[in-house]
Amino acid sequence: MVTLEEVAGLGLLQKPPSNGDAPEPLQRPESNYRPLSTFVLPKERQYQQQFADIYFLRLTKIKPAVEEAAIAAWKNTKIGGEKAKKVERVLDVRQGELCWVAGTVYMDMPLKPSILEDVAKDRWISAPTTLDHYYSEGGQDSVMLEDDSGRIKLVGEAIKNYFLVTGCIIAVLGTENANGEMEVIDLKFADLPPQPARWSLSKPSPRPKDEDVEMTDSPSSGSKKIALVSGLEFSGTSTAYAAELNLLLEFLLGEALDPSVQSELSQISRLIIAGNSIAKQEDAHHGTASDNTKKPHTKKYGYDASSYNPLPSQLLDTFMSELLPTMPVTLLPGTNDPANASYPQQPIHAAMFPKSRTYGGLPQAGEDAEPGWLDMVTNPWEGEVEGWRMLGTGGQNLDDICKYVDSADRLGMMEAMCRWRCSAPTAPDTLWAYPFQDDEPFVMKECPHLYFVGSQPEFGTKVIEGSEGQMVRLVMVPSFAATKEIVLIDTETLDVTRVKISA
Amino acid sequence: MDSYTKYLVDNVLSEDKTVTYRLLSRALKVHANTAKQMLYEFHLSQNAKRPGTVHATYLVYGVKKGGNIPKGANEDVEMASSPPYAESVTEVVQSYALSLITEESLKDALAGYEEVSSIHVYSVAPHATKDMGLLADVANEVLSLSTAKDEISVPITNPYVRTRERRGAGLKAAAAPSVPAAKQQAKAPASKAASAASPAEIKEESKAEPGQAIAKAENITKKSTPALKRGGSSGIMAAFSKAAAKPKKDVKTKAEKPSAEDTTMALSDDGEDDEEVEMLKSKPRSTAGTKTKKEREEELRRMMDDDDDDQEQKEEEEEEEEEEEQVKSEKAESPEPEPMEEEPTTGSVEEEKSEVVESSNNGRRRGKRKVMRKKQIMDEQGYLVTIQEPGWESFSEDEAPPPRPATKPKIAVPAPVASKGKKGAAAKGGQGSIMSFFSKKA
Repeated sequence: MVTLEEVAGLGLLQKPPSNGDAPEPLQRPESNYRPLSTFVLPKERQYQQQFADIYFLRLTKIKPAVEEAAIAAWKNTKIGGEKAKKVERVLDVRQGELCWVAGTVYMDMPLKPSILEDVAKDRWISAPTTLDHYYSEGGQDSVMLEDDSGRIKLVGEAIKNYFLVTGCIIAVLGTENANGEMEVIDLKFADLPPQPARWSLSKPSPRPKDEDVEMTDSPSSGSKKIALVSGLEFSGTSTAYAAELNLLLEFLLGEALDPSVQSELSQISRLIIAGNSIAKQEDAHHGTASDNTKKPHTKKYGYDASSYNPLPSQLLDTFMSELLPTMPVTLLPGTNDPANASYPQQPIHAAMFPKSRTYGGLPQAGEDAEPGWLDMVTNPWEGEVEGWRMLGTGGQNLDDICKYVDSADRLGMMEAMCRWRCSAPTAPDTLWAYPFQDDEPFVMKECPHLYFVGSQPEFGTKVIEGSEGQMVRLVMVPSFAATKEIVLIDTETLDVTRVKISA
Repeated sequence: MDSYTKYLVDNVLSEDKTVTYRLLSRALKVHANTAKQMLYEFHLSQNAKRPGTVHATYLVYGVKKGGNIPKGANEDVEMASSPPYAESVTEVVQSYALSLITEESLKDALAGYEEVSSIHVYSVAPHATKDMGLLADVANEVLSLSTAKDEISVPITNPYVRTRERRGAGLKAAAAPSVPAAKQQAKAPASKAASAASPAEIKEESKAEPGQAIAKAENITKKSTPALKRGGSSGIMAAFSKAAAKPKKDVKTKAEKPSAEDTTMALSDDGEDDEEVEMLKSKPRSTAGTKTKKEREEELRRMMDDDDDDQEQKEEEEEEEEEEEQVKSEKAESPEPEPMEEEPTTGSVEEEKSEVVESSNNGRRRGKRKVMRKKQIMDEQGYLVTIQEPGWESFSEDEAPPPRPATKPKIAVPAPVASKGKKGAAAKGGQGSIMSFFSKKA
């Protein structure tokens, strides 16, 4: 409870100083930043390949870890005097024998979009699905376990205790029943991958204590912070939250508020924009048949350039160009952003931002090059910031998983992704993805310290721990357009604070 | 009356405008914090004179009551033991609220705060602000005022900020000479000087090394960059690039063969030079000028990684392209003379084998030449087969160079357009041609 009397005369609620001396200028600390090119696709890529290789690669990469976990858990398991034994392939499971086997989960769901169906109905161009969820209430969904040999249906109470989606790799313990289904008694995941130590890729910048005494004496003590924001959704038509966006800009610039808070804010050393910076296009010009009949004379084949509204990207450009002189920005694309639709989304092209791009990196710079001050990166994106390994996505991977599971526990699903060691298990089944041939980058080879997912309906965070002492900070970055919230991460403790902006 | 009071009276009271601290700060060139205090003082003094004349909005930052209430009572500890994916709860984190509040509702809003870390006047207006969206319009006005990135628009400076050099029009102009330079570098290992002068340009064109480019961005302003390049290209660089371009021309007029391809290669600025340099490296050669025609043909043939079919076709197209090429090469800053009159080139004797000139008057040449024609026929199995067969084709074209002994050195010919880079013609003669070029230049 704060009253008017308490704040009267506080801070800036007083006369301007008569002598007019300027307040001590503040400086931001350096952002220690090293992006990785895990999800960068080759410039010349083709789409002729089959998608099956992704599953194969994923299985070969994760299976050893799953089996290890399974052996540790079930090595001496005996049920009814029968010892559980390992079976190499799904097809080798024999009726009545207690055994365990590892494979890829496939969810058979009637509502789930299926490429076979599209082909059967002669639909060669598939539109993005509009379904809210794939699971069906009637219980027609079934869980399968498959590998390169075949498939077996999983039944039993045990599987209901876990989130399972297409593409995750699990090991199941059970027996095959008379129906040819596997009665699952228990199941295991790979669990968290090994975690690199802090500063494994970059070096901490030496503290400027010796040469810059003034800085350490200034009130801007405290550790550095990173600002995470998602879903700015600059819109060409709606100005519903333009005031909030302006406040956000002033907040990040350090222009708003009073000197004590400003010195706190000067510790924000980087802004990460996790997707959906541009609002969804209104469907005014394309789509419904009624539209076409309304004005048939304007119907054109192909892309109608006159329907393009450049305002959203201009606004985003202006926003970033205001911010860039004071703060480096990492920009991930999201669902609505002008990047490719399939995972992994490639960086938004610099040509979209004529004002901001001068801060960008050189387009042909090599991998070891210094990243741009404005770094347009992939989605998902991996990198090391202040020594912490970070993995972030624009949110499509989590949104897609949520369609499989009748649950609102998004944090739990984020945790599950880490324990499955797969950041986008539903690619390429329901999450569009590039048909990888040689590498499956969605497999988490190394455990991140911070895993953030953008464009979420609400804020959420927690820390999960692995068996080998791994600690992962999970953060759901809420959509700014919906919640007007941003997230600040302390770079020493990975503690999270949220700031809600209202106007 | 203070200047700010006057500004505020003019804008708020007389012109009925909303003034935010950002606008005031930029209009009067004062620090944002000072501007906030000015607004406060103005609001206070005006309302003391006549209550209700000025309405303010406040920006409040602090911790709100109830903002940190946990959503569930579960503990993380329990999570580890329970099945991994039982409902997980979000951790409770510190939560701040940044709110823009009107004067009228300030009291109530403050009551909702547990702690206020900062409060200041955000804007003043002659009316109570009902729609905060209107403040966004003021923000747009602010944008137009803050063009310079000075201390006022960037209150927290970042000493580590860096930009990259803009790649503008000036760069493109410089691009053309730089590519031949790159070629020359590979061709003539002796041209150390050229290579030393050119790395900047070459890097610009192909793969810019970030460190260097950044250094450039800092040191070189946009304006000076093209100028610098120009300087480079008109100096020793240009000499080499022209010398490089010239022998090719030479080949063309002699052999009327693959130079079409070659010239386009010289003109292309799309970064192919890497590949090219590599190819050239694999078979080092001496100075281009000393090549015999045969050698060169052979080399070009190999360079063009094409089978003979294409080459023959080139031969056909060559005629049409010849004129184009001249125009193109002029664009590429290695100017060609107008059709050969003033600058006689060695017409080749060997050419006669494949070319019979029947008449040559009024600046036109007519005759026949041997060409390879493509013929498509269907064979007995129904396949379409393309075959090549030699044939004669009559032609009529602009005056070609009068025949001359191919071996005659060109050094002695004082070209009228010498300063424009006609020297290249001399270079083809062979002996000491490059040197003669330098001496003239000097």
